Amino acid sequence: MSGTKPCGTESYDQSYGVGYRVGHDDFSPYERVNRLRKTFLDREFNIDIQRARLITEVYKNNPDLSAKLKTAYSLQNILENVDIDLYDEELVVGEVAAPAKAAPVYPEFSVSWIIDELKHHPFDQRAHDKFFITDEDRDELLEILEFWEGKTVADLVDSRLTEDEKKGCELGKKVYMTNLYHFAGVGHFVMDYPELLRKGYNGYLAEVEQKLEALNPSDGEYREKRDFYEAMRIELKAACGYIKRYAELAESRAKGETNEQRKKELLQIAENCRQIAGGPALTMWQALQLWHFATTITQIESNGHSISYGRMDQWLYPYYKKDIEEGVITKEFAQELLEVAYVKTGNPSKLKDKMTVEVRSGRGWGGESLTIGGVDEDGNDAANDLTFMLLEASAHTRMMNPWVCVRMHEKTPYELKVKAVECIRAGYGHPKLFNDAPTIEVMQRKGMTLEEARNYEVVGCVEPDLPGYEYGFHDSAYMNIAKVMELALNGGKCIDCSKDCPRFAQCAGIGSHLGPDTGSLADFKNMDEVLQSFDRQMKFWTDQMCQGINVIDRAHRELKPLPFASAFFNDCIETGRDLGEGGARYNFTGPQASGIATCADTLSVISQLVFDEGRYTGEELLQAIRDNWEGHEALYALVNSSKVHHYGNDDDYADEFFKEVFNCYCRNIEGRENPRGGTFCPGVYTVNANVGLGLDLGASLDGRKSSEPLSDNMGPVHTSAASHDICGPTAISNSVTKVDHSRATNGTLLNWKFPPECVAGKAGRENLIGFIDAYFAKKAMHCQFNIMSTEMMKAAMKKPEDYKDMLVRVAGYSAYFVELGKPLQMDLINRTELSF
Amino acid sequence: MRNMAREGIIFNIQRYTIHDGPGIRTELFLKGCPLTCRWCGNPESQSQGIVPGVYTAKCIGKDKCGFCETACAEAGSLVFEENKLVSIDRKRCINCMKCADQCPADAIKQWGRKMTAEEAMEVIRRDKAYYQSSQGGVTVSGGEPLTQSEFTADLFERCQKEGIHTCLESTFCTDWSLIERVVPYADLLITDIKHMDPEAHRKHTGVSNERILENLKRLSKLGKEMIVRIPVIPGVNDDMENMRATCDFIIRDLGNRVSQLQLLSFMRLGEEKYASLGRPYPMGDVNLDRKQFNKHIQTLANYFNGRGVSCTAGTTAGEDGGMKE
Repeated sequence: MSGTKPCGTESYDQSYGVGYRVGHDDFSPYERVNRLRKTFLDREFNIDIQRARLITEVYKNNPDLSAKLKTAYSLQNILENVDIDLYDEELVVGEVAAPAKAAPVYPEFSVSWIIDELKHHPFDQRAHDKFFITDEDRDELLEILEFWEGKTVADLVDSRLTEDEKKGCELGKKVYMTNLYHFAGVGHFVMDYPELLRKGYNGYLAEVEQKLEALNPSDGEYREKRDFYEAMRIELKAACGYIKRYAELAESRAKGETNEQRKKELLQIAENCRQIAGGPALTMWQALQLWHFATTITQIESNGHSISYGRMDQWLYPYYKKDIEEGVITKEFAQELLEVAYVKTGNPSKLKDKMTVEVRSGRGWGGESLTIGGVDEDGNDAANDLTFMLLEASAHTRMMNPWVCVRMHEKTPYELKVKAVECIRAGYGHPKLFNDAPTIEVMQRKGMTLEEARNYEVVGCVEPDLPGYEYGFHDSAYMNIAKVMELALNGGKCIDCSKDCPRFAQCAGIGSHLGPDTGSLADFKNMDEVLQSFDRQMKFWTDQMCQGINVIDRAHRELKPLPFASAFFNDCIETGRDLGEGGARYNFTGPQASGIATCADTLSVISQLVFDEGRYTGEELLQAIRDNWEGHEALYALVNSSKVHHYGNDDDYADEFFKEVFNCYCRNIEGRENPRGGTFCPGVYTVNANVGLGLDLGASLDGRKSSEPLSDNMGPVHTSAASHDICGPTAISNSVTKVDHSRATNGTLLNWKFPPECVAGKAGRENLIGFIDAYFAKKAMHCQFNIMSTEMMKAAMKKPEDYKDMLVRVAGYSAYFVELGKPLQMDLINRTELSF
Repeated sequence: MRNMAREGIIFNIQRYTIHDGPGIRTELFLKGCPLTCRWCGNPESQSQGIVPGVYTAKCIGKDKCGFCETACAEAGSLVFEENKLVSIDRKRCINCMKCADQCPADAIKQWGRKMTAEEAMEVIRRDKAYYQSSQGGVTVSGGEPLTQSEFTADLFERCQKEGIHTCLESTFCTDWSLIERVVPYADLLITDIKHMDPEAHRKHTGVSNERILENLKRLSKLGKEMIVRIPVIPGVNDDMENMRATCDFIIRDLGNRVSQLQLLSFMRLGEEKYASLGRPYPMGDVNLDRKQFNKHIQTLANYFNGRGVSCTAGTTAGEDGGMKE
């Protein structure tokens, strides 16, 4: 195998078609994979209450135990008693303590929204993100949840937030949203899978037991450490027992199986489970099975999302190579294994509150990033057969999961670029592309060595992360910086302030205002004053946001430690500290800015119309947005026309303001400290929060009407009147790369939308590769593509039943278009289609 | 020293074009054309003058704005219906462009602007990285670039000096002396054979084809890479007889020294622009069964290939790339 060029099971330039194709369910050459995929898509989303029942038993019966031991006994109780199942034809087994695609319940994080929605806004009545539950289960669940009222992570957070922190967040005016970790687990990490596969659970158990024995009672943190090790021991043993249950189940199914082939498979599944129920993985199949168990058990412990898979082509390769060399498997079977594992990653479903799904729809867990390609620790290209095979598996399954990410660098082989672009132009939204040069800089900025930096992978949407060493709180908040701009221009007051606001009585009603008064556009004399006001307002709100996140961080540490997950992070076992206590070697907190182009175009409008041309006064502009542009039609048309400088057109006038806003946000986040001994990292992306955040925002001077989405991620503004970028993709690319992406250490994100005919044919493919190469040569960090015509999205809105499996790239992730909320569907349609 | 401030009249610069020449390109569309093809997709390119175009749908209404009327230098030139600007009285209008300057809604578009070659280069240079990574470059099209041959030659010379690939898209319906002035600086030529019959050519494009065909013969001997296109227009030139004649000409008179023949399917591209100029759309009645017509074009492509003329349906970029002009 060595000495030959890496390749998959198909030619590197195998075409997967251009654009979404209606009515296909035969993408994989493996019939089993196509059938498993169809079964998955046809299955309903249900709510399963077993986990809630089992965890509540433990908490009720052991009120005095430490949080660590409560967590451990809970996981043990669940793993020992939850119903388990094996499904037809599958080769990799295991779920998240619920039947396939059913969502377990995590009452320890928050319950008030579940109770409220069960009673008043049933999950099966939602416009999208529906879940089903039987009446019997609903009643039992309500009873269970009652116990948790006042005891959850969310309750603790609520009790600790100050009035200023509350009014800024989701409990108030949504200047920023910290809802994800306020109401649910954190996740957003990559465990040390290679170490786990080598050591097996028993390897960790031995270390933990040794540590426990060596623990010195004179250690100031003795109790905390003892409970931590004890909890780990309980959980690791429970994990082994759980996997043994699967071995037994597979054996008993094999006994009743009449099909000889399937019988053999079931016995092999049993043997795999027996081996890894404590032992290391010996084969590729066992490695995949252990990876899947390790991931799903972590998801049973906590419902944090974006449990990502790291550099799978790297850590799985030794097993693949050995199996092929020893003739244990064929390359074709290895491919089939990857594809069944892919389909399997779609199963975990997560129940989210209606406010969260408004901002981020999708019933999957979310964030299962799988990184491939890039350089090795010496800076050489790291691509191998699996790099290609994992891309082929993606094209053969075309599902939401996993979120494949290809790392690109100067020496990425041409064949790999072709393979990636063939997948991209097949139009199912994967893979996303990351650029090594600026991302390695990001990791170094975060304090890592060059060798460590080169080993980065991507967590969730676009967060650069170090596998097995980093606890990054990557998705901790979304700040609506367009709201910050509004307050900066309007004396700290909301532009749409009215008696209808629920906060009126405690705010404007008593002569107060939401933010500090940092001046008004009616009075500013020049752009410097405008920018100063923005910076001061930004400082105030980033103060509130980061303090609020730290409150949440501490609440998780106190009430919801993660001893099981901690086992797979350096240096938790070594130091005796849980992830929540800062046990990981690197600790960060990553909140994102949303609406950066909205702010840039706002500044551009002010600068040009008020200070350069003197056509309008600041007060006139403020009045226009107070009136939601009504009665100001000419001005509304003007700010949405090509006569005003707009970001995204390679026009320095507007792009300078983009830079200004980008740097203002980063400057106000960088260097802040979190309770785990780490620092804050700014991210500049919205995922799709731009839609939800826009819903609650009055009109803005970029030409946006009240309730319209903010600009998405790093992209230009598109309002209902016009797309502000009119010079095509190279101009956008030039504009976007005028900022230093590596300063956004929690990631940046750029969506491209090309109609299929623009990337068709061999020339279309080569042009797209050339475009990406040039874009990355300008040190952009990330990009991803929708190869989708506006017509097709409109058709899918009309006849959703025909487009059930049509994936669109929403942001860091792809989602089934017909399952998205209408505002988000419209936002996707309105993004500029780069047609020429 | 040459006149550095020589100006061209350009009506559009499009970045990231992929249909007119290889790779990612910046394409400049120059104003002025000796032909008036009925199917022309850019009728605003035919005259060399700078004129306003009207997009009624974008007008927000005189009652809410009225900037254009206030600015207008020849009162009464602007024609409104129900408050909206619907057309311009072209006999009265002196093309001062004040209305277009003032319109906040992009409802009046200025067709054409003057630019020096250096100013054009400033735009072109911005995408150099993309030309390099995709083997693209610059295409000058129109209109007819050779009506501004000095500007075009100047621009191409500058491009070549900076290592940027150049492509000239021309009707070649002009004096050989003008062709000679530009062609040495063009790396690739793209041209049309719209019809083989001189009378039919005159009827549909306003000029005979004799000079064009003569120029193509001379060009084919220069050894330049040349792409020839046939805009396949239903009922105009899509009959077998014309195709056979075209094929004969390519083989016999051009010595088949054509890198590729591209058959471009008729698209109703010029309609909105004709309306903006207040002119009726000459192809107004043509509506075709797209699927059927594409099949027909594929049959024609097979015919050419069968006779040894390398031919594709559409441009090489998109599988169903549309006709550009």
